Amino acid sequence: MRRFHVLLLCLALFLHVQSQEKIVSGNITVQDDGTPLPFVTIMVKGTKYGSTSDEKGSFKIKVPSREATLIIRHVGYKEHEVVVGDQTIINISLASASTTMNEIVVTGYGQQTRKTLTSAITSVSSKEIENIPSPSTDQLLQGRASGVQVNSNTGAPGGGVFVRIRGTSSINASSDPLYVVDGIPIQSNSLATLGLGGSVTSPIADINPADIQSIEILKDASATAIYGARAANGVVLITTKRGSDRKAKVTAGAYYGRQEPINLPDVVNGPTFERLINESATNNWVDLYGSVGTRNPQGVAFRLPYANPDTALNTNWGDPIFRTGALRNIDLSISGGSEKVHYLVSANNFLQEAMIKNSDFSRNTFRINLDFVPIDKLKVGTNLLYSRNNRTRGRSDDNISGALEGAFFFPANLPYYQPNGSYTKFGTFESPLAAIDHSDISMLTNRLLGTVYAEYEFRRGLRLKSSFSLDYSNFEESLYDDSFTNAGSTVNGSAQSIVGSNINWIQENVLSYQFKAGSHSFNALVGTSSQESKTSSTTATGTQFPSDDFRKISAAAVQTASSTATGYGIASLFSRITYDYQNKYLATINVRRDGSSRFGESNQWGTFPSAAVGWVLSEEDFLSKADFLSNLKIRVSYGITGNQSGISDFQSLGLWGGGTSTVNGSYGTIPGISPTQLANPALKWETTKQTDFGLDVSFFENRLNITADYYEKNTEDLLLAVPVPRSTGFENLVQNYGKMQNKGFELAISGDLFRSKSGLNWTANLNIASNKNKIVKLAAPFFVYNRDIYKYQEGGEMFSFYLHEQTGINPKTGAPVFTDVNGDGKFDPNVDRKIVGTANPKFFGGFTNTLNYKNLDLMFFFQYSYGNEQLNWNLFFLEHGGTRASNFSGSQLSRWQKEGDATMVPRLNAANYAADLRPSRFLEDGSYMRLKNISLGYTLPASLLRKISMSSARVYISGQNVLTFTDYTGLDPELTGTASNALTQGIEFFSMPQARTFMAGVTVSF
Amino acid sequence: MITHSYNMITHSYKMTKRNTPQTSTKIRLMLYFSYAGIVCCFLGINACKKVLDQQPETFISTETAITNKKGAEAAVAGLYNEIQNGSYYGRNFQIISDVSSDIAQSVGTWDFYREMDTYVVTGGNTENGNFWYRAYRAINQANNVIAYVPQVSNATEADKNKYMGQAYFVRALAYFDLTRLYGGVPGVVGTLGVPIVIKPSEKIDESAFPPRSSLQDSYNQVESDLLKAVELLPESYGDNRSQAVKATARALLSRYYLYVNKPDQVISYATQVINDPKYVLSATFSAIFDGKLNAESIFELNFTASDQSGIRNWYFTSALSGRGDLAAHESYYKEATADPKDSRGKYFGYDATSKFYYPTKYQKAGNVDNIHVIRIAEMYLNRAEARVKTNDLTGALADLNRIHTRTGSDALSITGATELSAAILQERKLEFAEEGHRFFDLVRTGQALTKLVMVERRNGPPTSLTNAGRQVFPIPSFEMNSNENMVQNEAYK
Repeated sequence: MRRFHVLLLCLALFLHVQSQEKIVSGNITVQDDGTPLPFVTIMVKGTKYGSTSDEKGSFKIKVPSREATLIIRHVGYKEHEVVVGDQTIINISLASASTTMNEIVVTGYGQQTRKTLTSAITSVSSKEIENIPSPSTDQLLQGRASGVQVNSNTGAPGGGVFVRIRGTSSINASSDPLYVVDGIPIQSNSLATLGLGGSVTSPIADINPADIQSIEILKDASATAIYGARAANGVVLITTKRGSDRKAKVTAGAYYGRQEPINLPDVVNGPTFERLINESATNNWVDLYGSVGTRNPQGVAFRLPYANPDTALNTNWGDPIFRTGALRNIDLSISGGSEKVHYLVSANNFLQEAMIKNSDFSRNTFRINLDFVPIDKLKVGTNLLYSRNNRTRGRSDDNISGALEGAFFFPANLPYYQPNGSYTKFGTFESPLAAIDHSDISMLTNRLLGTVYAEYEFRRGLRLKSSFSLDYSNFEESLYDDSFTNAGSTVNGSAQSIVGSNINWIQENVLSYQFKAGSHSFNALVGTSSQESKTSSTTATGTQFPSDDFRKISAAAVQTASSTATGYGIASLFSRITYDYQNKYLATINVRRDGSSRFGESNQWGTFPSAAVGWVLSEEDFLSKADFLSNLKIRVSYGITGNQSGISDFQSLGLWGGGTSTVNGSYGTIPGISPTQLANPALKWETTKQTDFGLDVSFFENRLNITADYYEKNTEDLLLAVPVPRSTGFENLVQNYGKMQNKGFELAISGDLFRSKSGLNWTANLNIASNKNKIVKLAAPFFVYNRDIYKYQEGGEMFSFYLHEQTGINPKTGAPVFTDVNGDGKFDPNVDRKIVGTANPKFFGGFTNTLNYKNLDLMFFFQYSYGNEQLNWNLFFLEHGGTRASNFSGSQLSRWQKEGDATMVPRLNAANYAADLRPSRFLEDGSYMRLKNISLGYTLPASLLRKISMSSARVYISGQNVLTFTDYTGLDPELTGTASNALTQGIEFFSMPQARTFMAGVTVSF
Repeated sequence: MITHSYNMITHSYKMTKRNTPQTSTKIRLMLYFSYAGIVCCFLGINACKKVLDQQPETFISTETAITNKKGAEAAVAGLYNEIQNGSYYGRNFQIISDVSSDIAQSVGTWDFYREMDTYVVTGGNTENGNFWYRAYRAINQANNVIAYVPQVSNATEADKNKYMGQAYFVRALAYFDLTRLYGGVPGVVGTLGVPIVIKPSEKIDESAFPPRSSLQDSYNQVESDLLKAVELLPESYGDNRSQAVKATARALLSRYYLYVNKPDQVISYATQVINDPKYVLSATFSAIFDGKLNAESIFELNFTASDQSGIRNWYFTSALSGRGDLAAHESYYKEATADPKDSRGKYFGYDATSKFYYPTKYQKAGNVDNIHVIRIAEMYLNRAEARVKTNDLTGALADLNRIHTRTGSDALSITGATELSAAILQERKLEFAEEGHRFFDLVRTGQALTKLVMVERRNGPPTSLTNAGRQVFPIPSFEMNSNENMVQNEAYK
């Protein structure tokens, strides 16, 4: 180390001997706590003179004259300038970088200052997401990063989250981003296999949000291409906290909150139910025979279905299933270190009991992040996360046995219990009481996410890092429907148990070299990566239990079992060079070559290059006078990335399978086989070509920062399940066919709006993004989901709703009026359907305000989505006009009753609610704006804390989903009840909505 | 790896000292950089080769599927698996017939059956599409057996004939059902049949986009497959009922000839089966559905606890752990219970909450009811119907009474041909309700438009089938979209 300094020094001496030169020395420390900062770059402004601080933060530098200015730069800290003058000892304390331009950005396999970045990366700091009671980190990104669309498909804790970075780029392959935690591309698909409805779970919930230091969203091709094959949908880099050169710091935090429903199911009461049924029957009779006084041809007189609606029972079926939910979180961490060892140990306990019974999530984690230097220049370390999650789940989302379905469908004139004490059963549906009390469904996940690495620094800037990582999840799902439930009643209890695991290992080697040649800075790396993933599961079922006290399948008289296994491998070589000239001209080139086991031998490998250039105009002389301008950079990137996720592991092969009759092949007890998949040996990577134009500009000493990006993503060779005529015996063949386009605009503005000597500070962040999705080429149009709710066609968009466009109600007859699409003069439900809207928002984003006054802090965060349509499919079933026996939605009351009534809800009769109608009146404007989070905190004064030997303490109260502004009439405009089908979005289908939460918490550190 | 690099770097420092620092350092470092890079890549590529070699564990390749006797037998089991699926004879085909006629109505949320019930079926109807796809899966499975069994290594000729005969039988049944539902009945409704595919589907080329054949060609395909099945199948093996034997194909031929109006052939094949000692009318009606695979049965799909049939589930109310989506039409209930001696009238339950009757022919807890595709009773009624057409009214009445009196009812004494035909049709209605006959019997006899009039429904006004073109179903919209050679039925254009 020292030797190297001397070398540099000699060099400087030798080359630039001038009369005024002198040596300046000093120490560099952290402003906050005075700890020394090693390896800080010290430059003499406008020259090649430079030095670096040593391990103890000391430096020496030769300066050419007393007029010289030193520039001190260090990643994560504000740039500091000082004029040398007569000083020979200069001590500098660096303030941590709060302004965006100097912040350190984690990139794939590296890090960089934002100033020299040529790609579109949005950072979300731990500060923004801490103490927000959400089990899952993906949910926390909602509204925080421009261009990242996040919807909570369900309010069920730990449930699935819809995340799209710059739109949906694929139809049948996955459009979810790649999640990389501390360099490990983790398994992020829902592992839950129990069929409970359309819902899924989020494996990102395994990670403790309190462990997160920062989240980087890599958006353009230049940023993502280093993850080549899996980067087409963007990358979410999660970096966890680590220890540092300081004495041990203990941080403890806890919060507790309550959750309540925002909206309850809107259904009619018992008497109203009976009146509406009577009205419908009357109308049907009148339509057929002219009047209620007329007898039918068999001579039977009209009779009201309910003679006495006024005396009807009135049962609230929602009461038994809702509750006030609870939230509890405890975090504890110890971090610190010395010169040779950095450590962080943390533990977390999180519990959420949702506002619908039988829906809980609990998480226990511990983490060890350790870095140490066993011998000079060698760094060895480990990250280790163990996470244990327990979910209690209920059937919901498009499941006729769910408690929420029962609460909607059960007619309000039925009692909870029958005279003999048994649960009232109705049609297809499960009694909500039985669903809550007599079904036990749980999922336990144990996850180990660990890395060991060694990094050797050959010389300053030249490093080789090798790592081995493991992402291991083990899950146990169990279900028991006892003999009181529909599923269990005739088989004396029904149980299912699924045990499975996903093991994912990754070995990577990265050689990187950072060097300067004059004003030219280079950062180059080459690397290899190989990854293998294996998933297996075993399912057992049991029926005929001796009694409901036995719940394990070992006690069942009838038992069946099954097991499956699958796997894939990815091998990669990658390289990147970043270059900058005086922080003024910037360039990045990436190339990655990936092989995937999912493709046939001839198409296994794909090459994914990208390039980007940036120009920092504010460093140019011609802008040096523009004092108001602190930074101005334009950047352009282009690159090709790939996608292979979401298709099955053996998609290119022609396959036959066996199994029970419900799966494949077998007949009774005779084993059987049948074809399951057509071969496509030519199958290859789906590729996305993305162009990005970006602008970063900062004004008034970085007090106002604006980042704007325009992008165009063209995906081709889609991994498309091309529908084939089913007369072949197959539904589709996955082919590289079709094109998709996403283009959009992103804008993020942040500013220190107000700073005053009195101590009042106000900062605000606003982000807004729009994305336009277009299906450019498709083999043939196709429909998605039951009743063909979605239609995919060339020129259309993802998630386009295909319905009968209802334009109004005939004011004379009360019959719905639909658009005659083919213009043949009559409305025919078979052909007169059209695309009437999409679930894609026109724009979306978030708005955060933080105010500080002395020890008080107030933060409020709005999140919004505009222009998205949301299908209220609950109403399709409940606004049935008497054609079903189930309860009515409250909306049914605004039906047409007499001439002149202005409404969209037709007169009650069979024809107006015919079985083949899919009226567009259920498609509503899903735009909303939410006060997603508001918190008020108080930091205890330092003087007080010293007395009790604490270093900091803050107490706070906060609220989640406090206000929602929307015209949508359902429970929640974000819901998707069919999330297990990735081609559906924006459809409320008996899903648990999000709750309103109020909580209080405290964070202390010693 | 690390140790190796370490040595390398020590070396580099020594070198640096001896040379002029600026240039040589760069050169050296670049050298080592590339050297280390090569090592990395080498290790990486080695690992690559290993991770890219993944083999399916839960599936086998098409090439290995039917190569030996075991594979052939498994593929034959797969034939029955396709037709026993819930989309086909597991429940759907019977329910399609029930709700489209005057047996049952849809009362639940599954509005696809309500579309059929109220004669507004659309091309996007999920259950309509499910049936189409499942029938063609069965056909593709049969095509595979027919194509690959001849090359199977360790099977005797007799074995091979047995496997292929079953494939021809299942293919005939699937084409028969497809043609009845989408094509129509010669002389009654329809001129187009369904696409005929007789080769296994292995890749997507022009042959994957077949046009519809003529209605007559579709029926001809059924006939030739059945005759081939009669030729290849053995007289007897196994239980003779859950898998096809010669008599199974003969029995289906007797039904087939009713549709193409060849009464002599109906009588001939029905008589062959009636004279076959393996098949005997069950003494009581209840014995047929209480047990499994008894002598009444000619072709019966076998279900077990791990391989359940869905039809009971769809009819039974949730109080009895069913789905409760369907109910008997009140009119059908009244007809079935009109004669108190008729034991068939006992097969009803009543849902007191929703106030409707539902059929209980399939009543086994755990949904393990077997499905009767062909029963010996049908041979009598097929023959009776054909005998009326050949003016053997005495013989026809005798056949009818064999079935009518078995239920405990008194023998009928009917003389006129028209009356006798009507009585036979009514007997078929009560005997084969929920077995997938009624809708097709009405269409085939040209009575759908006169019988399906003002059928009372629970959650709506009575419905009538008025559009003659709706005696056939629409080609599913996915098929219309994916095959440009496909033509939609007139009433759904």
